[in-house]
Amino acid sequence: MKNQRTRTSLAALLAASLALGAAGCSGGRRTAHGSGGGNPLAAGQGTTVGGTPRKGGTLTVLSNQDFSHLDPARNWVMSDMDFGTRLLYRTLVTYKAEPGAAGSTLVPDLATDLGTASADARTWTFHLRPGVAYEDGSPVTAQDVKYNVERSFSPDLPGGADYAARYLEGAEGYQGPAQGRHLDSVETPDDRTLVFHLRKPFAEFPWATVMPTFAPVPQKQDTGPRFDNRPFSSGPYKVDSYARNKRLVLVRNEHWDPSTDPVRKAYPDRIVVTMGLKANQIDDRMTASRGADASAVPWSALRPESAPKVLPNAEVRRRLLSESTNCTDMLQMHTGRAPFDDVRVRRAVQYALDRDAVLTASGGPALNEPSTAYMPSGLFGGRQPDTLKIPATGDPGRARQLLKEAGRPDGLTTRLTVSTGDRGRAEAIQQSLAKAGIKVVIETVDPSAFYATIGDTRNRTDLVYTGWCPDYPSGSTFLPFVFDARFIKEKGNSGNHSLFRDEQVMRRMDEIAAMTDTAQADRAWQQLDGTILAKAPAVPVLVRRWPLVVGTNIAGAHGHPSFGGQLDYATVGLKDPAKARG
Amino acid sequence: MILYIGRRLLAAAGVLLAIAAVTFTIFYVLPSDPAAAACGKSCSTERLEAIRAHMGLDRPLWQQFTDFVTGIFTGRTLGSGRYAVHCSFPCLGYSYENSEAVWDLLTDRMPVSASLALGAAALWLLLGLAAGVTAALRKDTLTDRALMVGAVAAASLPVYFTSMMLIHGVVRLTGLLPYPQYVPFGEDPAHWASNLLLPWTALALLYAAMYARQSRGSMIEAMAEPYVRTARAKGLPRRTVVVKHGLRTGMTPVLTLFGMDLGGLLAGAVITESLFGLPGVGRLFYGALTTGDQPVVLGVTLLSAAFIVVANLAVDLLYAVADPRVRY
Amino acid sequence: MTTTAPTPAAAAAPAAGPWRLARAELRRRASVKISLAVVVLFLLMAAAAPLLSALCGWSPEEFDKSAVDPYLGGQPVGPFGGISAEHWLGVEPVTGRDLFARLVHGARVSLLIALAATAIVVVAGTAAGIAAGYFGGRTDALLSRLMDLTMSFPSLIFMIAMMSVARDVNRILLMTAVIGLFGWPGVARVVRGQTLSLKHREYVDAARVGGSGPWRILTRAVLPGVAGPVIACTTLLVPGMIATEAALSYLGVGVRPPTPSWGQMIAESVAFYDTDPLYFAVPSTCLFLTVLAFTLLGDALRDVLDPRSGRA
Repeated sequence: MKNQRTRTSLAALLAASLALGAAGCSGGRRTAHGSGGGNPLAAGQGTTVGGTPRKGGTLTVLSNQDFSHLDPARNWVMSDMDFGTRLLYRTLVTYKAEPGAAGSTLVPDLATDLGTASADARTWTFHLRPGVAYEDGSPVTAQDVKYNVERSFSPDLPGGADYAARYLEGAEGYQGPAQGRHLDSVETPDDRTLVFHLRKPFAEFPWATVMPTFAPVPQKQDTGPRFDNRPFSSGPYKVDSYARNKRLVLVRNEHWDPSTDPVRKAYPDRIVVTMGLKANQIDDRMTASRGADASAVPWSALRPESAPKVLPNAEVRRRLLSESTNCTDMLQMHTGRAPFDDVRVRRAVQYALDRDAVLTASGGPALNEPSTAYMPSGLFGGRQPDTLKIPATGDPGRARQLLKEAGRPDGLTTRLTVSTGDRGRAEAIQQSLAKAGIKVVIETVDPSAFYATIGDTRNRTDLVYTGWCPDYPSGSTFLPFVFDARFIKEKGNSGNHSLFRDEQVMRRMDEIAAMTDTAQADRAWQQLDGTILAKAPAVPVLVRRWPLVVGTNIAGAHGHPSFGGQLDYATVGLKDPAKARG
Repeated sequence: MILYIGRRLLAAAGVLLAIAAVTFTIFYVLPSDPAAAACGKSCSTERLEAIRAHMGLDRPLWQQFTDFVTGIFTGRTLGSGRYAVHCSFPCLGYSYENSEAVWDLLTDRMPVSASLALGAAALWLLLGLAAGVTAALRKDTLTDRALMVGAVAAASLPVYFTSMMLIHGVVRLTGLLPYPQYVPFGEDPAHWASNLLLPWTALALLYAAMYARQSRGSMIEAMAEPYVRTARAKGLPRRTVVVKHGLRTGMTPVLTLFGMDLGGLLAGAVITESLFGLPGVGRLFYGALTTGDQPVVLGVTLLSAAFIVVANLAVDLLYAVADPRVRY
Repeated sequence: MTTTAPTPAAAAAPAAGPWRLARAELRRRASVKISLAVVVLFLLMAAAAPLLSALCGWSPEEFDKSAVDPYLGGQPVGPFGGISAEHWLGVEPVTGRDLFARLVHGARVSLLIALAATAIVVVAGTAAGIAAGYFGGRTDALLSRLMDLTMSFPSLIFMIAMMSVARDVNRILLMTAVIGLFGWPGVARVVRGQTLSLKHREYVDAARVGGSGPWRILTRAVLPGVAGPVIACTTLLVPGMIATEAALSYLGVGVRPPTPSWGQMIAESVAFYDTDPLYFAVPSTCLFLTVLAFTLLGDALRDVLDPRSGRA
């Protein structure tokens, strides 16, 4: 269900790095820091920078891009969802505003609790809090939430999360409310009660209601596609002005009542997002933190090229956040056809791949962690197991031997599709596989076309490099999406890019999904991860961090693990608002 | 004269139509699918079809083209029901990425690109002509040599190199100027200029060098024309001869060049805008390419073609005024 | 530099004599010698790229992990971008690929694209120009319209668009074709003007009266007449082509990885300009020198071969 948002956030990340193009690739000897080295950035994980903020002042956000969508029906990019749901609109349920693992806990937002399920988990009831108001003072109603859920079905408003489409009854063929048709499976018995009727049991439904799809939009404020440029606020801020690709100014929503909101602190008086800046200039400005930049935060992650300017400097390092994105980058092989229908060839790739080189291409150990399993460490209680024990730099000798066993002593030639921003990583993969006799031709595809390209199962290349993030700490949001053959589509395929089809694995997935003991289920998912890894449909490569250097006047800043490591906009503010008026 | 203008305008319209047709065909035949790009990640087949129909991409190519062309004059209504968007004259299509009519996007970004182009043009004309005329009048002296070598060198520097050096020197090391960030002229003219100074310089340097070389050549040629020699022989002051006779004829080729260059730049200097992070038409175009926003790509292509065509026309008309030898 | 020939309408058709004169004139100039040396040096470097990189011991695609520090974002180990006996010009940050090997192989790609695109432009432009000038009438009208149309295309924008949408093709070939596509009208205009003025010269008329066919007249009488300006114009075209290749690669729509080209190298190195200045300076300097050399050479050739033209 969930996960696809990973891919969008990746796409956004790539789009961001596109302008700079760089990120070469490759190798690393540990000489300079000794082999243990330690991770200079690990300290930036799970902590808050700058203490508690004071109310007031203007927070500036420096960005090299525009938001994909701020319309809640269309917003499905990690960072944009953070920004939208923390500042502009509220959802039924949301994440706690805490650093580290605690941030992945759910708290009721518009709703009074996390929802009540029927015994079969197919009917979910939510009650809305009283006293929540829009920017014009009118009350938020259950009908408005239903209306936005319906909007997300409109072909005129593409881009949003598809949970509603996947689970709601009667969703097939529904085209949104524009023609006056409505969804009967969302009931609103009164202004403050919502009842969702699902097609199949879904015990984790509250997690889905964190999505902006479940934010309220009143029908009379709906401007269709134009809503994207002026969303109607139910959160602590409202849009004062928005010039696409230039500047977004948010001011306080006077009708937002903090007593109804357990999550958002809303410290600054104004938030100004300056867009379209050069990424390298943002890095330099944040590092220098001169003048007005002291009260600024960056939107995109620090570029690997800027690491030499940041890491050796203790003062700057203190202002550095580096939450994990919790997304595993994988090299996925087309298991449905030759040569990768042969498990020995796939294992040869597992052995040939020099993860260390890809890691360096990705900014080095400071900005990434190597992966030895598919699910990120969060789903393993903090540490991934290493069941295969393949050296981080690969074992080309073993790989050659495996290829020989597979009847390909002369190696093979294959093609790899990557998004433009991953070119450096792809070159590192190309270089390391070449050592084992696997010649890789790289196809770089524009981020916008990337998912459409690799989703075309018949015409795509044998190899693709792409990631997956769990939506919440449960193996059910990872393995079934990436390795369940029942999710494969001939076009628009997503997640299972290795087209992995294994009856035994699928049966096991169904068994685990039916487990009621979550601890038992967690263990079972972890075990299954290892089982799949041995069948080698994909090679786990690395998990990226989301490094951000914030200004010297910034307080309450922490990366949020459930928003891909992006700064939690619910709590960020200024140390001294007097320094940032304007 | 009026007949001539009319004929030229008609030809210009034809050229634009042809460019639109070529661009249209190329972008709609090439393997990219704006509907898939808009639909995003997990996109079901029926939803993709719905989006395609909504964007009008399910219709035959020639019909899409006719719709587009007539839409420019009559306006178009896209989508249906509550979410229908009306895009009025001059309708160049609707950007689903930006949820705005392409024309509005263009007019929104134009001031940035125009500020960049016009400021840089003023700077390079001034620098280039000064250097070129000085060199021509001191032909074969040390000044001439130095200026020309400098010009060739400046013209050979890649613009990204000059830009990075300017930012490094003027912004990072000395802090003399802020990191360029566009401020509208109407908001604060002083900030507008100080923020654009670096991009102007980077862009102007390149062109100034070309203009210095060009104007030196044509100035030397003009000063050798019989009537200039006559004027000199008549004993007119050197200043009058240079300005009234030499410059007037010598500048004709420079004018042609200027028309083409300015026309090309008005619709966005892609690299300079991206180097300095200026939200102009060039960046809009580049962004549209990376997100598969074809209406915007088409719109920018047409706009810049229009600028080039109009600039050429303007130059030809100015000839009549500038060069006494040209008559229609 | 520009010699001002007072002949108002037509330059004398160059015969064997003038060619020899031109060569003598060129040999006199220091700038010609230096720029010719630079051009030849880079051409040789490009031609001998595999040999040179074998000599330095690194292929342009080979990673050297020991030359970069992964904990510092892949900064080269050692001063000046990691210059050492092993890596003559240092290494690329992050990958540790040998900069010298990439530079010489990059020269190959960049110059190949520039020269091939120039060749397309010159052949197409000359053919179109001669045809338009010699046959006149409808041919001229048609070709002139086509020239106007091509020149009105926002070429860079168009090139970026085409390069970014096209997949599954040979990038070098595509880039050459796309760059060449928009250059020919410039040459065609020069040639057309020249042909018009040659068309009614006595020796052309004589050939016509003597019963020579149009093909013979064109190749024997007209082509040699336009050769001078075309050669000068060609040399001045090359720097533009190199710059265009660099610009396209800079925007990320150029050659496919891991193929190096100067434009691609500069594009990647811009991000490192302050942390690893040498990495940025090396390809930029090469690009600068090549463009400069071709420009100086072209200037000299134009002065000598085509004294009349204001601009090529």
